[in-house]
Amino acid sequence: MSTTDQTTEPVDDPRPGFTDGPDGGSVTGWRCTACRHPVAQLVLYCPVCRSPVAESAFAPTGEVWASTCLRVRVPGRTPPFAVAYLVLDDGPRVLVHTQGDHPQPPGSRARVTGVADTGDLVAEPEQEELS
Amino acid sequence: MIGTAFVQGVGTSSFGRQPGVGAPLLAQQAVGEALADAGVDDVRDIDAVFAGTVFGAPGTAQRMLQLLGVTGVPVLTFENACATSTTALHEARQSVLSGRFERVLCLGVETMTLHFAGPITPEHTDAEGRAGLALPGVYAMVASRYEHLYGLEPKALAAVAVKNRRHGALNPRAQHGAEVTAEQVLASRMVADPLTLLQCCDISDAATAAVIGRGRGVDRDVPIAASALRSGELWDHRSTHPWGYELMARVAGEAWHEAGIGPGDVDLFEVHDAFTIGEITATEALGIAEPGGGGDLVLSGHTALGGRQPVNPSGGLLSRGHPLGATGLAQIAEAVWQLRGEAGQRQVEGARIAAVETMGGGTAGIDGNGCVVVVLGG
Ligand SMILES: [Zn+2]
Repeated sequence: MSTTDQTTEPVDDPRPGFTDGPDGGSVTGWRCTACRHPVAQLVLYCPVCRSPVAESAFAPTGEVWASTCLRVRVPGRTPPFAVAYLVLDDGPRVLVHTQGDHPQPPGSRARVTGVADTGDLVAEPEQEELS
Repeated sequence: MIGTAFVQGVGTSSFGRQPGVGAPLLAQQAVGEALADAGVDDVRDIDAVFAGTVFGAPGTAQRMLQLLGVTGVPVLTFENACATSTTALHEARQSVLSGRFERVLCLGVETMTLHFAGPITPEHTDAEGRAGLALPGVYAMVASRYEHLYGLEPKALAAVAVKNRRHGALNPRAQHGAEVTAEQVLASRMVADPLTLLQCCDISDAATAAVIGRGRGVDRDVPIAASALRSGELWDHRSTHPWGYELMARVAGEAWHEAGIGPGDVDLFEVHDAFTIGEITATEALGIAEPGGGGDLVLSGHTALGGRQPVNPSGGLLSRGHPLGATGLAQIAEAVWQLRGEAGQRQVEGARIAAVETMGGGTAGIDGNGCVVVVLGG
């Protein structure tokens, strides 16, 4: 409500993380060892079945579920900025920031490429592979 | 168990940005009106107070109540985002039905201009709030998903704002009582695509109150036919519906079941139109329209004053203003005035049954912090 510090604070930052890697990196989170439910927030056990969870790396690609561009003042950010819910192919739905002020349309493909200075996951449209 | 609990009286302050007034004076306006409306002359006839505020400081309720002379009784304070004071009413009704209290004063208050210069800033301990997803963004995502599933014409969104502003023009307490055209709505500044400024409620300072008690053979008392409250289920990668839809539909279903009626039996609705898309999804979740049919519903005139089932005859949150913790009881007050035939120029002729829906959000990962549906009259 009144915070001025919007920078990344590893201990209490509730946002999902990202790990760079040779295959384009991965979104980091947790997956239930029993029911396989994926979670992008730090948890002690599965919110669905309360079984133990294990750290997991999710493929960074997925499908845009919904999107918008915010054009109002939000602390720590410069409007306009576009955001989207991205359902990762083998994992949870995460909130990502996308380039420019045109929201990426629902149903389109996107790839998480990293974390911005603000600590937000950043995604861009997935290039169609030439085959 | 008592058979039925009644709303014995309602009251509100004025609505608007009134930073110089403060919660205690707003509460004096609302509670004074509600007690007089209920015919309660002696505050010792109040057995408990169920208060609600979202951003109020600790002790806000007691600080207001001492100036009303309401002391010595149990005071419980509720927070349930936008559904805060309808949650207080839901619990007050249960307390009366169970026999725990004979008469409960419900009180909602919010002084938002003390806390925010502009829109509500997102909560930084929340995963999506921390990522900058302010509330207009939450509802814009609803509109985006809805459009993807069903299609969504800008003129349908605009029609909600035009209708509710027209209703609000008949409400002397509305914060934004001026009528607007669809062209003005769509040409106003974009806040979060596709929601423009005139599709977003304003922050507001206000207090609202209701006296809930047992039946006492007074004609003006309005029976609470049903009330349901739930928080949202997990809302994640498995979900297909826009945020809040399934929660609203489930709570509405429970309320219809308890009341023994369906949405077609209701003469008027007060629903949570914090943003235009919210009214469209609410009308579908309540069952007034089929999924995907909320846009055509508002465009048809069905939900306008003079139509078969007016929605938000008060002007709704878009016109009346949205003082978070006070909003639910403002909706209840309108429903009570309508059912008594006291709604003046915006009276729904022959109104016998009203339904109120309030939806609170702001927590990532669930389908809503809380939703309340109340059925009044019958
Ligand atoms: Zn599990």
